[in-house]
Amino acid sequence: MGACIDWNAYIIVMASASSSSSASAIKAGVLVMLDELHPSSPFFTNGASLRLTGRLQEFSVETAIAVIVDGGATFRIDTQNLRDIHFRIDSLYQFIGELLIQPGLQPHQAILQARVGRNVDGMDMHLYRKSLQLRRQFEAKYMGTQST
Amino acid sequence: MAGGRSMWEWGLDPMCLSHVKLLSFDLLSLQKPNTRGGSEPFWRKGRPVRKVEMVGVVVSRERKDKFLKFELDDGSGCVPCILWLNHMTNRYYPKTDQLQMESMAAMALKQAEQVQLGRLVRVQGRITLYNKQLQITVSSAVVEKDPNAEILHWMECIRLAVRCYDMSAPLPPSHNLSDAGRKRS
Repeated sequence: MGACIDWNAYIIVMASASSSSSASAIKAGVLVMLDELHPSSPFFTNGASLRLTGRLQEFSVETAIAVIVDGGATFRIDTQNLRDIHFRIDSLYQFIGELLIQPGLQPHQAILQARVGRNVDGMDMHLYRKSLQLRRQFEAKYMGTQST
Repeated sequence: MAGGRSMWEWGLDPMCLSHVKLLSFDLLSLQKPNTRGGSEPFWRKGRPVRKVEMVGVVVSRERKDKFLKFELDDGSGCVPCILWLNHMTNRYYPKTDQLQMESMAAMALKQAEQVQLGRLVRVQGRITLYNKQLQITVSSAVVEKDPNAEILHWMECIRLAVRCYDMSAPLPPSHNLSDAGRKRS
């Protein structure tokens, strides 16, 4: 479980696995850490379905835009489609939605259009990060996309 | 006969009898049975799977009179689930024990109320086909309050896949007995 992963191949296979095998029209939100979401990252694609986790830094009631932070990186979340969720600064939240990168705007202005959100206070983020690495290696190995 | 093994052999495989813990991508890539009618199980690497357990976030929910249909997303796929709520009217349920049937119906209704968008839910159930697509017919749906439960489930899935599900099935008792007999003689 110590080999590196071909991220582009991994993402293509995970996307096809989540859409072709089931009758679901909903794409699975690929688990991504905030510090992995930079413009050169294979996850940074317009329309990509992602699941992001972070501590709430800001929330605007007027625009329904939340800013979450984790591992020194921040990301904006559009929460206008969410119901029954109460935002509290410094609490941990997890969102599933689609990445929106509008042409002409700076990469840091990308936003996640959330369709599902939940409070995950109590989640061990260090354990989450480590487990996610193990899980990706397992998935890549299982699906034969692991590179040496 | 399925997967080169007789029903006598795969029917005694522990994987056929237990709730197999799988991640969505693994569950959705199970090999479908060759025959219709529900007697034959699904297959994973040559081993039978009938019942599964998975943990995921509810990303869609459709409530009808007779059932609740929802989808669970664990990051590697979305798995359709159906929770039947028609225990009292469906003729396929045995009518032998009215009290038991009422309590099952009440429990299913309670579980249906708890399954809401955005909640982390652990389901156990049978794998079935609907419109040639795989789904879980839910026997139990529990909302997980601890967000770390999902992480633990991932680790269990990985450990079980590597240490158990990927291994070849243990031989049925008849093989062991005949081996022992041969050794004695």
